[in-house]
Amino acid sequence: MNNFAKAVGVGFVSLGLWSSTALAQDSWWKTAAEPYQGATIRGISESTPASKYVEQVLGPKFTEETGIKVEFEATSWDQMYDKAIKDMEANTGIYDFVYIEQDIVYTYLARHFLVDITKSLADNAKIASPDFKPENFTTFLNYFKDPKSGNVMGVPMEAFIKPYLYRKDLFEDPAIQKAYKDATGADLKPATTHEEYTQIAQFFTQYGADKELWGTTVQASSSHPAAFYEFFESVAPTFGVYNWGIDGTTFAATEANGGQMNSAAAKKALNYWVDLLKYAPPESTSSTWDEVAGTFAAGRAAQGLVYGENAAWIATDESKSTVVGKVGVALPPVEAGVMEAAASGKGYIGYYDGGAFGIPHSSKNKDASLLFLQYIGQASVQTNWALAGSRIVMNSTYDDPKIVEQDKKMNGYYTLMRDDGKLFAGAPPYPFHSQVLQVVAPFIYKAIVGEIKPDDALDQAAAAAEAELVKLGYRK
Amino acid sequence: MRQSNIGWLFLAPATLILFVVGFIPFIYILYVGFFDWNTNALDPTLRWAGLQNYRNLVFDTTFLNSLARTLVFAFIVVISELLLGYVLARALMADRLWGRQFFRTIHTLPIVVAPIAVGATWRLLCVPGFGIVPYYLKLWFGIDYNISTNAYHAFGTAIIMDLWHWTPFVTLSLMAGLTALPKEPLEQAQIDGGNKLQIFWYVIVPMLKPVLLTTVFIRLMDALRSVDEIWMLTKGGPAEATRFIGLHIWINVFPKTDYGYGAAMSLLTLYVTIVLSWLLFVAMTGRKGGAQ
Repeated sequence: MNNFAKAVGVGFVSLGLWSSTALAQDSWWKTAAEPYQGATIRGISESTPASKYVEQVLGPKFTEETGIKVEFEATSWDQMYDKAIKDMEANTGIYDFVYIEQDIVYTYLARHFLVDITKSLADNAKIASPDFKPENFTTFLNYFKDPKSGNVMGVPMEAFIKPYLYRKDLFEDPAIQKAYKDATGADLKPATTHEEYTQIAQFFTQYGADKELWGTTVQASSSHPAAFYEFFESVAPTFGVYNWGIDGTTFAATEANGGQMNSAAAKKALNYWVDLLKYAPPESTSSTWDEVAGTFAAGRAAQGLVYGENAAWIATDESKSTVVGKVGVALPPVEAGVMEAAASGKGYIGYYDGGAFGIPHSSKNKDASLLFLQYIGQASVQTNWALAGSRIVMNSTYDDPKIVEQDKKMNGYYTLMRDDGKLFAGAPPYPFHSQVLQVVAPFIYKAIVGEIKPDDALDQAAAAAEAELVKLGYRK
Repeated sequence: MRQSNIGWLFLAPATLILFVVGFIPFIYILYVGFFDWNTNALDPTLRWAGLQNYRNLVFDTTFLNSLARTLVFAFIVVISELLLGYVLARALMADRLWGRQFFRTIHTLPIVVAPIAVGATWRLLCVPGFGIVPYYLKLWFGIDYNISTNAYHAFGTAIIMDLWHWTPFVTLSLMAGLTALPKEPLEQAQIDGGNKLQIFWYVIVPMLKPVLLTTVFIRLMDALRSVDEIWMLTKGGPAEATRFIGLHIWINVFPKTDYGYGAAMSLLTLYVTIVLSWLLFVAMTGRKGGAQ
């Protein structure tokens, strides 16, 4: 009886402590948000699974707790940049927080678009949440720090790698394994080299001729920058061509001047990638990242490089994907020596993508937006967000039982990201990101449609990139 | 004199709005066109370039190709829409046509659809791998239709999409013009023994000229600045096969932030449009402007 009474007592005390803590937390957000009651903050982001979670879950929860209304626009990648940059350039103040993709942050920093979050919170301690701790984030946060002051300029909201996805069910099917062995003399397993990858793609294209199945996805839209990104950020690095083939100090792109954009390795990479189109479904030449994920989820490709933000729904959501439980995850295939270079920090094997939310200087509701960014930067909201969008920005999220469980269904994607994430890298720190992209991308498109040969495409692209960099004043 | 002042007073609001949203931006673009200005350059300020932007444009094959492509597109769609529009207008005016009112309504529906939605819809219809157009063209005719690899397919689809969207506008304009034509000259021509072709060419066309001129100008200027539909359908591709001038300028001004060069492009395009419109005006009316 005594034990029972003690247990009940302990239970009540625990409940009391828990509820008082919860109330205290609630009251902190409410108290901090009191001066901004009735305010509306507007944000814009690319429509991704992680963004949709902000729109549908985190925004409404924040409004409920603080009384600050969140209007969130999740739109296409092109529109997102167009609208956000126009707003910040014209200083109109339409948006109070904007999505900053990792590759554009250097442009935003160079143009002083963003509010210094660290400084703003230090200047106004009343709105500095005790639950927002930059040290909780993974090293991905470093991409969003001002290189000079080290201050935080954006709160990471999504981060993922671009892994090699393959159809586990097909790769492990004994009949298919035998057919592959008979056809190639090799064992069917996820490719580790480009030759193996092509061979597998070729095999599955033949195997799937009457099954609406092709050998690989290729993110090769013949008119969208997605093709540029897949080549320069996911394929070229696996051939040892880094930073788009542009020398980070001299800004040379041509091999003659010390660049790598038209090097033999880069040409080999583009030939390999364009050649894969023979083994890809017809939609590949109009596929951006979304369509590639759709193609894989529809069971139309045996393997492919797919952005990790889509890995969760492809592997687990039966309402959208036909390959639930059939997805394998591995590192991308590489040329000899590239994996070793990546492991030693001298190179990388693919793209570590993601983004953060930042506050433009043009915002008219900076304090309310700071509260929102801290709200989404709490450790407590990360797990469900990761489950919805397969994005992880905090180390603690990896160990959450729900994530561990999902990781099993995703064949170890999160484990791969935690253990081998260091082999991937973000975009190079170029403030001229969009300018060089717009100059180089048309040559990649022309190579895709066969208007020019891949070798010529890279020769012309490198010369055009260099000319643009001279015009912009970066290359002397 | 007093009447004249009142007239100016009534015109003042519209003139002021035009001055603010039309003339001032025009002067600003004219000004920016003389500078090398890219906000992502190492020096993001305006640097005097004189006529260098215009000189570069003359040798810029991407710009020139884009302009030529746009002119070809505009020529094809305007002529085709005029012909189709006239045929449809006559058909929809015919008393014998069963369900005429219904067809009139259905036929005009595309006009009210936003260009961005038109582009998106056509993309869904034509996208390789999933669209019903490539599917049935392959199934029925064995044609490998692919707007993301074949430049002719993409360009042709852009033309058909424009015809679908804007022919009803031409039809409506011509129907209004045809309905308003006086019957006496037509009857007189019939009595004089004119055949159908002669009546069309020597009586109807001259009387329809004001309507034709207005319709052609509207459609020509629209076609020369096609952006949103094409953006949704092909994004200017494959490669640069449907990168029309409006899209090319947009890419240079916004994603590339090359404001000086973009401004010069815009002005040169405006100049080409004005010259083209003037030539058309002269060709259709026989007049050469104010001197007459």
